[in-house]
Amino acid sequence: MEQLSFEKSAKLLKKYKIPFTDYSIIKDEKDIEKIKYPIVMKVFSEKIIHKSDVGGIILNIKNKEEALQAFQKTKKLSKSALVQPMIKGKEIIIGMKKDLQFGPVIMFGLGGIFVEVMKDVSFRICPITKDDALSMIKEVKSYKILSGIRGEKPANIDSLAELIVKISNLAMKEKINEIDLNPVMINEKEAVAVDVRFMV
Amino acid sequence: MNLEKLFNPKSIAVIGASRDPNSVGYGILNNLVTGCVFQTEYCKPFNGKIYPINPNADSILDLKCYKNILEIKEDVDLALVVVPARFILDVINNCVKKKVKSLIIISAGFSELGEEGKKVQDKIVEILTKAKIPMVGPNCLGIIRPCINMNASFAPTTPPEGNIAFISQSGALADSIIDWSIENRYGFSAVISYGNKAMLDVYDFMEYFDKDPNTKVITLYIEGVNDGKKFIETAKKIKKPIVVLKAGRSEQGRKAISSHTGSLAGSYDIYKAAFKQSGIVIADTVEELFDNAKALANMSHLKEGLAILTNGGGCGVLCADYCSDLNVPLAELKENTLKKLDDTKKMHPAYSRRNPLDIVGDALPERYEAAADILLSESYVGGLIVIQTLQSITKPQDDAEAIIKMHKKYPDKPIICVYMGGRFTRKSRQMLEEAGIPDYNDLRKAAMAMKCLLVR
Repeated sequence: MEQLSFEKSAKLLKKYKIPFTDYSIIKDEKDIEKIKYPIVMKVFSEKIIHKSDVGGIILNIKNKEEALQAFQKTKKLSKSALVQPMIKGKEIIIGMKKDLQFGPVIMFGLGGIFVEVMKDVSFRICPITKDDALSMIKEVKSYKILSGIRGEKPANIDSLAELIVKISNLAMKEKINEIDLNPVMINEKEAVAVDVRFMV
Repeated sequence: MNLEKLFNPKSIAVIGASRDPNSVGYGILNNLVTGCVFQTEYCKPFNGKIYPINPNADSILDLKCYKNILEIKEDVDLALVVVPARFILDVINNCVKKKVKSLIIISAGFSELGEEGKKVQDKIVEILTKAKIPMVGPNCLGIIRPCINMNASFAPTTPPEGNIAFISQSGALADSIIDWSIENRYGFSAVISYGNKAMLDVYDFMEYFDKDPNTKVITLYIEGVNDGKKFIETAKKIKKPIVVLKAGRSEQGRKAISSHTGSLAGSYDIYKAAFKQSGIVIADTVEELFDNAKALANMSHLKEGLAILTNGGGCGVLCADYCSDLNVPLAELKENTLKKLDDTKKMHPAYSRRNPLDIVGDALPERYEAAADILLSESYVGGLIVIQTLQSITKPQDDAEAIIKMHKKYPDKPIICVYMGGRFTRKSRQMLEEAGIPDYNDLRKAAMAMKCLLVR
C-alpha cells in the first residue's frame, strides 16, 4: 500500500464534496507575505506520516513574525510547508478500512485520548445512510462533548453525519484501501477535514 | 431453492442406519422412531415414513431395511446420510437417481479436514446443485422440527414445540440447549445445525424461517459468515425479529474458531456494526439469546414509556435502575391516573403514587388487577413489568390469573413478569408462560426483554 499524493487526495475530497480546509503551500519566505492569521503550519512531506511526533505541526500562529519562526523549524524537516487557517472546534477522527467479509467499514471517534486511550469508537459498514451515520456518532460515550457542555454551543452534528455519508460514497466507488481523516474539526457551524491520508 | 421438503418431509431415508446402539447411524434412526435417547413428554415418533438403509441388515428397530435407496418404491422427501466419507459419492449419485427432494449429510471428514476433504465436498455440491437438491451439512448435527415430531439429528432428545427457530453453527451447543430448553420452558419451531455450510448457509435458513408459519423469532449462533454483504442484505429483508449470539469476540476466541469450524472470524466490532445496521438484536450470552427471543416471540413492541407494578418497593427501585441503565424509558404517572387508582378504593394508603407503582406487600390479586388495568388503559403507558415478591398473604396463582386477564384485554401492550421466588411460585410462573407472558426470575432480565421490544 502506498499513500496518495496530497494533490490527488485534495482532488478526491473535492470530487465527493467533502469539506476540506483552504490551504496554501509555502516554498520560501516570500510566500508568507499574503497570509491571513491565525494559521497552522505543517511540514509538507509525504514521507512524514506522524507530523506531530517530529514537531512538524505548529498551531495558532498569530502573525508574520511567528510564521517566519515556524517556517525555520519546518524547513529543517522538509523544504516546503503547508499553511491552513486555524479552525476552532473539537477534533474528530474518521477512518475507513476494508474488512475481508464486509468490505469498506467506517470508524468514528473523538480525537486525542478518546480514540487512543479510551478506544471510544464506533463502526458502520458501507454503504452508510444518514441515519446510520447519526447513530454511530451518538453511540460513542464522548458524544456528550459534541452536544454542548458547560454552556458551549452544540456542534453541527448534521454536517458531520453528511461528511460520513460522503466518505462512505467515496469508499464504495473509489479503489482506496484505507482512509484517515485525522483530524476533522467540528464546531457549531461546520465539520471540515483538516488532514487526510488515502492509502491505495 | 425450495426447502419445504427438508423442513416438512413426509418420508425420510436414513442412509447408513446401523444396528450398533453405540453408533450415530443407530442414534439417528432411533431419534426418528422414538424421538430420542433421553425420554421426555416431548419425544414422539416421526409422523411420516422411515426407511433405514443398510446393505447388511434385514431390519433395524423393527423397520424393514433396504440395501440402497433405489430399492425404495415410494418417494423420498429427505435423505439423512451417515455413511463414512469414503462412500459418500456413490450415495449422493444414488440419491440424485432416486430424485430425493432434500439431503442432510451428518457425516464428517470433508472441508474441515483440509484440501482432500474439500475436493470431495466441492464435488458433492457440484452434483447436487446440478440436480437442484438442497443439502444441509456435511459435518452437522442435523435438524429437529418438534411440530412434525421430526428429530432428524443425533441430538440426545427433542425440545418442546414453540415458536423460536434456532440456527446454530455449533452442533454441540445445540445439543445442550435442547436439554436446557426442557428445564427452562423454551419452545422451538426448529433447531438446525448447519456444519460446513457447503450448500445451504445461514442466509437460506433465515429466509425460510421468515416465511415459516410456526416461527415467530429467529435466533442465531454464529462463529463467522463467509459473505458479510449477503448476510446484511438478507437480514434487512427479514420481517421477523432476529437475535444473534456471536462467538469470537476476543482475540483468543477468534483463534479458537479458526481451528473449530475454519470460519474467518473478523473483528467483533465490525460484526456488531453489521448487526446494528440490519436491525438484529445482539445477545451476549446463551441465556440472553433465548430470554430476548422469548420476549420477541410473544409480545408486541413497546411504543411508549414503561410502567413497573410491584408489591415490593426494593424490587421496583432495582428494576427502575436496570431500565435506566439500558435506556428503557419509564412513564411518568399523571395526576389523573393516580386519581383513578384512588377511586378504586383498592389501594393501600401508603402506595407509592409514582412509577414504579408499589402497591405494597399486602397486595391481593384484585389490587394487582385494578392497578394493571388502569396503567395499561393509559395511552401514555406502553407496557408493564409486573413484579411479585412472595409474602405471607400473596396468592401467586391468582395474581397470575389477574395478569393473564389483563394481557387478553390489552394484547398490543407488552407485559413482562418477574414472579420472584422458587418452589412456591413455580406454578404461577408456569401459568404465565403457558399464557404467552414471559416471566424471568430476575429483574435485569425483564428490563433487558423490554429493551429489545423497544421500537427502534
